[in-house]
Amino acid sequence: MILKKVKLAMVFIACLFAGNAIAQEATGATAKQVVEKFQNELIAVMKEGKQLGYAGRYDKLFEPVSNSHDLTKIARIVVGKESEKLSEEQQQKLIEAFSRFSVASYAHNFKDYSGESFIFDSEEETARGGVVVHSHLVIPDDKPVKFDYMLKEKGNSWRIINIIANGVSDLALKRSEYTAILQREGFDALIAKINEKIDNYSKL
Amino acid sequence: MNKPYSGTHNAKITQLISGLLIGAAISLGGCATTGVTEQQISTNKDDPYESINRKMFTFNDNVDDYVAAPISDAYKWITPQFMQTGVFNFFNNLKNINVVINDVLQAKFAQSAHDTGRFALNTTMGLGGFVDVATHVGLERNDEDFEQTLAVWGVPQGSYLVIPFLGPTTIRGIPGAAFDTAANPASYVGLPVQLISLLNTRANAEGALKFIDEAALDPYVFTRESFLQWRNNLATDGKAESSLDLDAELGEDSAGSAAKGGDTVVDNKKAPTLHVNSEIK
Repeated sequence: MILKKVKLAMVFIACLFAGNAIAQEATGATAKQVVEKFQNELIAVMKEGKQLGYAGRYDKLFEPVSNSHDLTKIARIVVGKESEKLSEEQQQKLIEAFSRFSVASYAHNFKDYSGESFIFDSEEETARGGVVVHSHLVIPDDKPVKFDYMLKEKGNSWRIINIIANGVSDLALKRSEYTAILQREGFDALIAKINEKIDNYSKL
Repeated sequence: MNKPYSGTHNAKITQLISGLLIGAAISLGGCATTGVTEQQISTNKDDPYESINRKMFTFNDNVDDYVAAPISDAYKWITPQFMQTGVFNFFNNLKNINVVINDVLQAKFAQSAHDTGRFALNTTMGLGGFVDVATHVGLERNDEDFEQTLAVWGVPQGSYLVIPFLGPTTIRGIPGAAFDTAANPASYVGLPVQLISLLNTRANAEGALKFIDEAALDPYVFTRESFLQWRNNLATDGKAESSLDLDAELGEDSAGSAAKGGDTVVDNKKAPTLHVNSEIK
């Protein structure tokens, strides 16, 4: 009986491994590759940042950000248990606004290039099947900034769900903010604030 | 002008610190009555005094807008960049003494030797600290203070507090700041020097303040979260990040396994786990 169970477990584990291998072969992109592709695209936009202007950077970054980040999942995590109270329509509205806000903040904060480069440090698997890619941004004449990307598998590709910059988790930060606003001021105020910030980014 | 000041000045610092402590005690006491209603709204365990903290935050924000920012802008306008950098380096170099003391208190002896070397090099070759020679030769700055030492010793962080004029701290941060002020030579050299130190601190915070202003939907929560995470990261020398990963994972893991199944399943499954998640934080 016990032997049978062990056998079953072995078969199950073997299937898991096989599944992983097939998934990776199909897409070919590991977590590290997803992060590095995105970082390269970001640096490329920074290099022509001034000529592109804000609108140009936004357009050029929309695809890279959407393809490397799981924006739908992130948007759902940041509203936390408040998501129970949101209608399907509100959730869609939030995901849409959140996605635009994410791209806008990249377009605003990575506006020009002065010799920055991302360096890959290491990669580790977390206990629950995620991967953390450790890297840092080298800024000439300044302290480097640590960027740790937390990725999860979505379908058969890897997507970024959190970025930890110098130990500050973007996901945790946003979750506190978004849930606080939802509790204190409600859904419409949250969307209005997001839109106001996007608007400010486009003017700055 | 400086000399006659220094005698009374020590007394002034002690007065200021005790004033702040009393102020904090009063605000904490005052909160006890409102705390009950507030806690029902508040989701953050680290911030039971949110309602009074928010008021202090708004007050500090106004002080900054109308007093500190204009003075700091004027300082930046009249002072050449190399002087600003020099002043920044000078005060930073004095902080090295603090860093070394705290290295020793945390039993980081190799690091304390490194930081002593930094201080010696910058004070001599770096013309009294105005030039940061040490960083150029590869002796990077370590960030240690007494609050971190207390954390290493196992003192709990305590509640988050926003102190008038001084900004965010925690209960553990108050004795931390008092010790660091006492151990910093800049505290004893007279008011003009301290004013420059304050100006310099404000001028250097410009970038961070601008970032919060641009990015934060709720500047109070944004400041609190980033402050607490940043302090935690310093106290654990970057090792806290693994717990942050876990934190993030807990929130979405059930969703992660369900994600392949379809999005509608995710919604139902996510809520309970996220609840656990915020509790853990």
